[in-house]
Parts: sequence; structure tokens; C-alpha cells
Amino acid sequence: MSEIAPIISVEMPSGGQVDVVRRRFVGGGGPGPRVAVVAGIRGDTPEGIRVAHDLCTFLDAHEADLAGSVDVYPCANPLAAHRSTRRWPFFDVDLNRLFPGRSEGHPPGRVAWALTRDIEGADQVVELRGAHPAFREASQAHVRHRDSRAAELALGTNVAVVWARHPGPVASSTFAYQFPGTIVLEGGTGNRVTPGVGRDLLDGLLNLLCSLEILGEQDLPFHWAGLQRPLAVTDEEVVRVRASRGGLFLPEGGPWEAVEAGAVLGTVVDPVTGSACETVLSPVSGRLLAVREQPVVFPGSMVARVVTL
Amino acid sequence: MTVVFQMEAPYRGAYELHRLSFGSGSPSVAIVAGLHGYELTGLHAVNMLATALQVQRPRGTVHLLPLVNTFGADEGRKRWPFDDQDINTAFPGDPSGTAVQRIAHALLEATDADICVDVHSGAPHVRELPHVRVPMGGDEVELGRSMGLPVVWRRPGDRLDATGLIGAWRQAGRKALMVEGGRGSSLDTTHSATIARGLGALLAFLKLVPTGSGPGTLADVTHNEVETHRAPCGGFFVPEVKVGQRVRAGHLLGYLQSPIGGDRLGEVRASRAGVVLSLRAYPMVHSQELLVRVAWTPT
Repeated sequence: MSEIAPIISVEMPSGGQVDVVRRRFVGGGGPGPRVAVVAGIRGDTPEGIRVAHDLCTFLDAHEADLAGSVDVYPCANPLAAHRSTRRWPFFDVDLNRLFPGRSEGHPPGRVAWALTRDIEGADQVVELRGAHPAFREASQAHVRHRDSRAAELALGTNVAVVWARHPGPVASSTFAYQFPGTIVLEGGTGNRVTPGVGRDLLDGLLNLLCSLEILGEQDLPFHWAGLQRPLAVTDEEVVRVRASRGGLFLPEGGPWEAVEAGAVLGTVVDPVTGSACETVLSPVSGRLLAVREQPVVFPGSMVARVVTL
Repeated sequence: MTVVFQMEAPYRGAYELHRLSFGSGSPSVAIVAGLHGYELTGLHAVNMLATALQVQRPRGTVHLLPLVNTFGADEGRKRWPFDDQDINTAFPGDPSGTAVQRIAHALLEATDADICVDVHSGAPHVRELPHVRVPMGGDEVELGRSMGLPVVWRRPGDRLDATGLIGAWRQAGRKALMVEGGRGSSLDTTHSATIARGLGALLAFLKLVPTGSGPGTLADVTHNEVETHRAPCGGFFVPEVKVGQRVRAGHLLGYLQSPIGGDRLGEVRASRAGVVLSLRAYPMVHSQELLVRVAWTPT
């Protein structure tokens, strides 16, 4: 059985504590790499937490066969998950803007610090997310721009798209940025678990462990030939489509549907009269990577991401 | 009053960014408050200054933007309510981007001035003595000192991140000061008046208005001269001092007790003479949270 241990306990003012837990699976199949899998950095991403638990269930049954070790952190932000909110409650801070954290200070900063320290030295880091609650997304892997090793590995994670992203202005404070080579897996929608998406991401994770030679091919509960063959894209091939009017966005089409340039992606209607005030068109041909689920939009709100083929 | 930016909003009237402008020509000063919707002490201070400027007729230009995040203020929230984004992380903004990016861009354009001031409050759970935060050196130190606010706090690299307003101003070549006082989700009229006097003193220093003096500086400190006390454990914090109070070495600043039963868990005492700069207002505290800051004074 795996070892379950808190990496940090946060004492609550009124008494009691909240633990951030690591489950460690050390294989009996000889030496090998150490992989860290982290989920629930934001509290509104239960899809990632679900996949982490499914992974643990699988590893529990196959621990003796592992070559190397797998550390799973099923929920890094338990107080936010408890409330289904993105940010750490009370302090109202996004844990994914606090890395590498601080050894002193408020609890979320110390949790970020503890997580960073605990993962240091891992050979491969995977972050499991869900999509933002306002969107439905196709399954995707994010890697850092020009990280060819991570991109190559991510091609085997059973997602629709591998997206090599340039670091943005706040990238240095994110979890993934702390560990070069990190693969971020996400899909579905925030605060929901989506049939199929969790299964896809779990199979992708298991295949990744197989690629790293922690799991043997014979241990996989599927044949690798059945996995998706992702499209590899960079920022230049992912087009954000925005509403130019405020109102209610009524989408047409779902994640990974093919669209032609000029195709209708949805309509913005006046929220009071219901009359159409904008028809949002796809600027390019491709597939829908993300579609807005939450209908209220301001001018400039993103309503879709289209990946060009 | 001028509407310098407008954006339609679903279900309600359009968002409008208002600017009050006084005088013309150089030098020019822009003062912003209410970037965070629940920080209202600065809003009141800027409106007090506006009342004074209506009769003072500045020799130069003063732009006042008392409330940027109007929608957040309506709901008592720090961030832009629609997508819960902090406008103060959206600079330099984008005129065709998301709502907060558009507001950030418009604000940066509307505050094209030689000297810019961003007025904030503490978080709702921390009360702050009005103070000005400036870099460790340069013209901004003298500008900050000219305000005569209770504390001048020189900090290395303060808010240099260009996604924040202060950093964006500095990147645009403008002198930028950050003023902070009071606490979020509440109004302290005394602190508002103190900040308004400090802003008036800055305008007088720049000869924009004929007279004006700050309330008086109690401490002029670097980051190494601010003593920070954090909770040694979780519990219920009972303060024994107020912000702005002078304390001596050994002064009892407050104590922690068990929330249930009231057993005393620890005491917080000043190590040196100083003035209370920050004080925890919400008494339930986690381990290592900020309880008290004391800015050191010579005696």
C-alpha cells in the first residue's frame, strides 16, 4: 500500500487542522525515475482531483510492478476545494500565483513553499487541472515553449492537443514554472467532472508512466495504439475569439468540433430584450479548443479558442 | 467631471471611468483611488481633495480618479466582479482585451502625468496607518516625504511588477507613489482626512497650490526598520494598541488567546520604540499571519 503523509498541516484559528497530503508509491520493480503528480492547486478543478484518485487506485493495484516511484498530491488546496472556489478562502489568493511560496507568512504561501520543496528533484512533474468554470475544453497538454522533451512526452498523454506555450507575465509565480519540463493536463470544465475526459487523462497519465519506464506496457489497461494522436501547436496556432459586445453569449458547437473560417461560433443577445446584437464568427478554420459555457459576457470577453490545423 | 472611458455592461448601465481635472499645463499630477472596489478610505480622501481644489485653482494640472472599480465597490469586492479579476494585475492593459485589460489601458492613458499617486487601503482584516511607500532612492523619496504622512516607508523594488499600476507608471517614465491607509470594506474618516492633507501637501511642494502641509511624519524608515510581528500559532488576537500609537521597547502590543476558553497563548511586545503602522483587525488568525507592524522611531 502507498504511504500517505501530510507534507504540511495548516492549523486553523478555531482549532483543528487541514493537511495537504502526498501519496507515495515506491515500486518493487527496481530503481527508476521519480514522478510527481499534483492536482487541486485551484479549488474549482475537481476533474484533476478525480484523475489523481483514479491514478492512486490503479497504482495501489500495481505498486509491486513499478520501477521507480510516483508521488501523488491529490489536492493541494483543500480549503478551496471544500468550497468549490478557485482561491484559498479568507485570504482570497490564487495558490497558482504564489509559487515558489514562502517559508513564513500566511498559510497559502507556506503550502506553496512546502509543495515546491517536497517536489524538488523529481524527474518528471505533471499538474492535473480542470478547465476554467466559464469554459468547456477539449483535453489538452501544456508544455513550455521550446521544451522539446516535455512536448515529445506529452504527445503520448492521450489528449487532443499539445500546446507549447510562451511564459506569460505572471508565469514565474505559477506551479508549473518552478519545474522545467512540467506537463499540465486539463480538459472538461471547471467545478464539474466530465464523462470521458477523466478517463482520457488517466489513460494518458498511465501511458506517460509507461514512456518513463515506470510502468511496463503489459500493465496498461489499454493498448497504446488506441490512444489519441494529439495535434502539436504553439501560441501562434491558438486563436482567441472575443465578443465585441456585452450580453449573453449563446454558443454553437462544442469542444473539438471542426469549424470553417467564417462559421458562426455563437450569438451575443441583449440580456433584457433577447435580441441579437452580435454574431461571433470564427476567424480561422480549425477545431474548437474551448467554448464559453458561462453565457454572460462583457466586450472583450473570450468566447472560444480555435486551434488552426 | 469627464467620462474618459465607457464600456457596455450586460444587465446594467455602462461602466464609466470618471476623471475630475483641475487647472492646465505643467506640472501634472494624477491621483487614483478605488482600483480595488472595497478600498473606500482613499476614495473619500480624493473627494476631500477635489472639494479643496474647486476653490484653489491649481497652477498646473491635477487629474483625480476617485473610484476606478465602481462595479467592485457596488458589491464590496476587491476585484472586478464579473470575472473576479484584479485590475491591478492587468496593466499595461489592452484596448481590445478583456474588461479589466480595457479598464487598465484606459486608466494608464487617463493618468498621463509627471507624477502619479495610487491610493489604497489595507485588506479588510488589517488596519493601516496612512503612509507612503517609495523606492529606496531617487526623486520619489523626496516627493513621498513632501506629503508629511505619518510614515514614509522606503522599500526595495516596491511594486515594480509592470502588471501593477505603480510598475506600469514607472515603466512609462512617470514618477509613482503608493499611499496606503485605513482598511478595506470600511471608512475611517480620520485616515481619509490625513491622506487628503498629505496629497494637498504634495501639490503644495510642487507649487501647484499655494499652501498645504501634511499631518506630520512620525517615522521615516526602510524595510529593515519595520518590525513585523506574526502569530506564533493560530488563535484569537486581542490588540492592546491602535495604529498611530507610539510605543516603547517592551510595550504590550496585543496577545493571542484560545478562541474557546480564552487561555492565553502568547503575547506580542515591541522590541524597540516606534509607531504602530499596521494592526490586525479581524481577530481570528492563522499561525504566522501578520499581527502588528511597528515602524521604528529614534525614541
